[in-house]
Parts: sequence; C-alpha cells; structure tokens
Amino acid sequence: MGNPGGEEDDLDSTVAGDVSLVAVDKTHRTPWLEQVRGPGAPREFSLGPGETIVGRSNQATLHIDSALLSRRHVAIKKNGPEHRLHDLDSANGVYVNGVKAHSAVLHDGDTLQIGDVVLVFHEAGR
Amino acid sequence: MSEPLFVRFWGTRGSIPTPGHKTRRYGGNTSCVEIRLGDMLFVCDGGTGLRELGLDLIQRGRPRLEAHLFFSHMHWDHIQGFPFFVPAYAPSSDLYVYEVAAGEDRVQRLLHGQMRSEYFPVTFADLGARILGRHFEAGRIGIGPMTVRCLEQTHPGRSFAYSFELDGRKVVYATDSELDFLIQNRDAADRDPEALRRLPDELVAFVADADLLIADGQYTEEEYPKKVGWGHARANTVADLARQAGVKQCALFHHDPMHSDELVDDKVRLAKERLERAANDCIVFGAREGLEIKIG
Repeated sequence: MGNPGGEEDDLDSTVAGDVSLVAVDKTHRTPWLEQVRGPGAPREFSLGPGETIVGRSNQATLHIDSALLSRRHVAIKKNGPEHRLHDLDSANGVYVNGVKAHSAVLHDGDTLQIGDVVLVFHEAGR
Repeated sequence: MSEPLFVRFWGTRGSIPTPGHKTRRYGGNTSCVEIRLGDMLFVCDGGTGLRELGLDLIQRGRPRLEAHLFFSHMHWDHIQGFPFFVPAYAPSSDLYVYEVAAGEDRVQRLLHGQMRSEYFPVTFADLGARILGRHFEAGRIGIGPMTVRCLEQTHPGRSFAYSFELDGRKVVYATDSELDFLIQNRDAADRDPEALRRLPDELVAFVADADLLIADGQYTEEEYPKKVGWGHARANTVADLARQAGVKQCALFHHDPMHSDELVDDKVRLAKERLERAANDCIVFGAREGLEIKIG
C-alpha cells in the first residue's frame, strides 16, 4: 500500500508518454567582451566565429580610439571550444589578469588590459 | 639581442592529472613547459601536458622536429605524457634526452621502463624518433646559443632544476623542490611567519635575476605541516626565494591536485601580498595551461 501524498503516489500519477525533444536556441551564449575602462567604455562586444582584432585601426573588428593601442593590438581566435588571445607584436603588450602574455587561452572573467583599455572576457550567459 | 624566448605552460598540476570543472582555469595536466627560441624547442618535463604539446607541434606542421627534453625527475607526474607524445613516433623527429651526470642513462632507462608491455601497449623500441642521450658536464651544457645549467634540489629520489640562459635573459624551471628544508634561519622563520626565509647562496645564485622563475609552490602555510618530507614547497617560501634572487616574474607551479582554481587564486594572492609587504616588485602569478610568455 502506498504512502498517501508520498513518493510512490507521485510516481503512480506520472503520465507515461513520448517526450518530444525541444530545440534550444543557444545563440545568446556567444562569448563576449565587456569593455570596462578606456575610450568608449562601458560597452559590450560579441565575439564572432572567426578572428577578432582589437586595435586602434578603423579596420579592427573592435576599434578602440586610444593612442596606447597599436593599430592591430591583439587577436582573439576561436580554436575548437576555446578562445585564444594573441599579442600581435603590439608596442605596449597585453596583460591577462596582470601578467604580460604573448598568448593565452581565455576563461570566463579574465581581464585583459591593453594600454588604458580594460576588457573582461565572458564565455557565455549574457 | 637575438630573437625572443617564448615560454608556454602545457601542464601545471602536481602529482596526478585533475581534469574537471574545478580546475579548468589553471588546468589539470601534469608538469610540462615549452621553451622556444626560433626553431629550437626545449621541453621541461613530460607530464600529461606533453601530449597536448605533441599535438600542437603536429599542427604547427614542421616537417622535422628536433626537441631537447629535460626531466626534473622521473616520478609519474613528470613522465606519463611521454608515451603519448606523437612526435616520438615520427621517424623525422630527433629527441635529445639530457642526463645530469656523465655516463648516466637513468632517464632513458626509466622512459623505456614505463613503456614495458605490463604498463603500456607500445614499447620504447617501437618509437620512430631517434632518441639520443646527452650529458651535462659540471652542471652545464651549451645547446646552440643557449646555455643550460642544472642544480640538484631537495626531493625524495632526487630532482633537478634547470636554468636556460641566453644573452642576459634567463628562465629557471625548478619544480618538485622542498625549499622549506633549505631554510637557513629556520628558528627565526618559525617564530615569525613574516621573517624572510633565507635560502642557500648556491640556490639564490642559480636563480639570480631570472626573467621568469617557474617554481613548485604547491602548499599553503596551513597545509605544509602535514606534508613535510613530501618534496614540495610552500608558495610563500617560493616568494621569498624570488625576493632574495631578484626575480622579475615568478610562476607558482605544480598546483596541488586538491586545489580548485579558487584555492590556487588564494595561494597566489597570499604570496603576492607577502612580496608587497616586503616592497618587492616581482610579479607572482599562478602558472596556468595555455599561457605563453615572451621573454626579451
């Protein structure tokens, strides 16, 4: 005999049936950069599937008008499931969480400082 | 000055691989560091990170690989990647394996041993690469323009640190070393946790003025008393070595397998604060997989 209001009753009342799988739109999970300091801040920038160039040039994917940035300062490339940052031989370098890096695999919450610009990398979930 | 040196971390974990969400940022692969000078490739340790390095080298598409391999010692977490190092299977690869003393073949013998059929399906003899032993002489060897020195450390079963020096630039790889056994002013340091832990002159000279010191800083102050004799150092003692030796950047390495990313963050923060209180400007950070640093 089942326990009134208990687990067994819950199971007994469950309707058996086919479960239709639901497609979930994941487009909102695109990684993005949050610019928290420097010219143009605050702003957000979604990272596309290709290469993102951050720099002073008007041709840069993420153009930031700061004299401390090289024209093409850093590149962020998607490599499989991860994003990798590369310093493009910039004059002032890039600091990832305070460490001057030539390249780095990025993780959620990493801070990237280039000149007077500070960006925060977000893996997803905006 | 010649072309820049690049240092890349492929495995930063100590003792055993620790994959999983708790260790994503610093990584779960065991010790492996790449040092690159133009086409010259130096590899420190063959922990599980070596597998990733091998795959990356294949992607770089170089038709012929020449690599110089330095093992701090032969404990599992420093050799387990070797059987999975894809370039070791390519006849076009030349791998130089360095022994610290003339006439020794210990490193090659133990790499060979871990590929016996009881442990691994492919034998050492089946590797396609030419694997050649080389020896330090009086603690030093020249490889092209690079000078590499070695220094014995304090670790069960012996371990060695290596310094890579070129045109006034210097990278020191010093993992699996219980620095705390070497503290010269032990009584004073025990009485006052803030006191500088003085380390032997020979060690300080070996590390002196390094652009980058990569050092075993596995334990916090609280953890260490239960791990005495296990062969690893307190992160704060590494910070004191960096301070005494005038190191510019110090990567805390060989993270404890029990440490989540947040715990490594805490350990690094405490070491940084220790140096800040001493008005020392060495940059301390936690070595993490995928980070590459340019020297010079």
